Amino acid sequence: MASEQAHVLIVEDNELVTSAMAILFESADRRVSTAGTIAEALGVAARDPAKLVLLDLTLPDGDGLALVGPLLASGCGAVVALTGRDDPETRARCLEAGCVEVLVKPVPARELVSRSAVWLDG
Amino acid sequence: MTRVERATESKPLDPHSADGDHLASLEAQLKEAIVEIAELRARDALKTQFLANISHDLRTPLTAVITHAEILRDGILGDLAPRQMESVRGIISGGRQLLNQVGEILTYARGAANQLTLVCTEFAIRETLEQVSTLNESLLKKKKLHLAVDVAADVPHIVADREKIAHVVGNLLGNAIEFTPTDGHIWLRARRGAGHDAECVVVEVADSGVGISPEHHDLIFREFAQVDSTPSRSHHGTGLGLTIARKLVELHNGRIWVESDLGEGSRFFFTVPFDQPE
Repeated sequence: MASEQAHVLIVEDNELVTSAMAILFESADRRVSTAGTIAEALGVAARDPAKLVLLDLTLPDGDGLALVGPLLASGCGAVVALTGRDDPETRARCLEAGCVEVLVKPVPARELVSRSAVWLDG
Repeated sequence: MTRVERATESKPLDPHSADGDHLASLEAQLKEAIVEIAELRARDALKTQFLANISHDLRTPLTAVITHAEILRDGILGDLAPRQMESVRGIISGGRQLLNQVGEILTYARGAANQLTLVCTEFAIRETLEQVSTLNESLLKKKKLHLAVDVAADVPHIVADREKIAHVVGNLLGNAIEFTPTDGHIWLRARRGAGHDAECVVVEVADSGVGISPEHHDLIFREFAQVDSTPSRSHHGTGLGLTIARKLVELHNGRIWVESDLGEGSRFFFTVPFDQPE
């Protein structure tokens, strides 16, 4: 039943990346919402908090990390940062902001689904 | 370009004499040169920032290409015929190769802007050499190259940035594979240094390949340099591998050099101090 599927929110401004991730999670029987901006993500989270948020750091209306606090306050379960920057500073910044994990793009398709399962099924 | 000419006289000059005029002109040229150097530095910093931005931005569409292809490969949207699978695997490996090259440009740009920092842990260099050789197994097999790893028993554990040391070894091994013909030999060795390098481990990546003429030994460590840079050159790459290797070694207070001649194979060496200052 659709209502029992765990909800994952993908916050990413590149539609090609979003569509790939949506296919992956829908195929793994998850319910997927997408947002391309901070404003859209806040709107989705307020209406329908997600169990897991996959968050890109560079968004057109600001720094994705500014979203972590408000998303958690809206009732979202966990925020995982998805970033193209593979350096210790970015990792530290994400964890300090409240992300539970930092994944460097591109995460192999199967790995992304299985790592996410920890938060979606937990 | 402004050229500052050398003064021929060292005695004090009267500002109203002909020599004084010459001095004033030299001062003006010097000022001009200083301004020009500052402008060049600013432009160089802009270029570096551009490289960092563009390589970061390239990762996003590459992520899309690779992830969509992996969805097909993994059968998430249904099974593929063997020929289709072969083609999809080609997209993935091409995408990953491109991603590595973009990563090299990003590392270079961050190194040039002094934005690279070390995250040091204690580890055995043997493990790093073995890991890097495992990562390159399929390439070695493809060219039927024989690889030997030899670490002297008295080499202690080192405290260094493991990932960056692996990056250096990976770049050197990648070159050795590229420039060694089929059936050739490659050696990864580590030993304790001597003399000035007594408190260092010396890592060597040697091959029986084409070798490098001594007049090119300095050139190859320079950014974007390739010994053959003509459009028809037979070897590819960003030309940044050795520049990055040098930067990462120097970040550890080590040094890197090559001993080689045409047709004689190459021996690349780098040192890493046993420990890093706090």
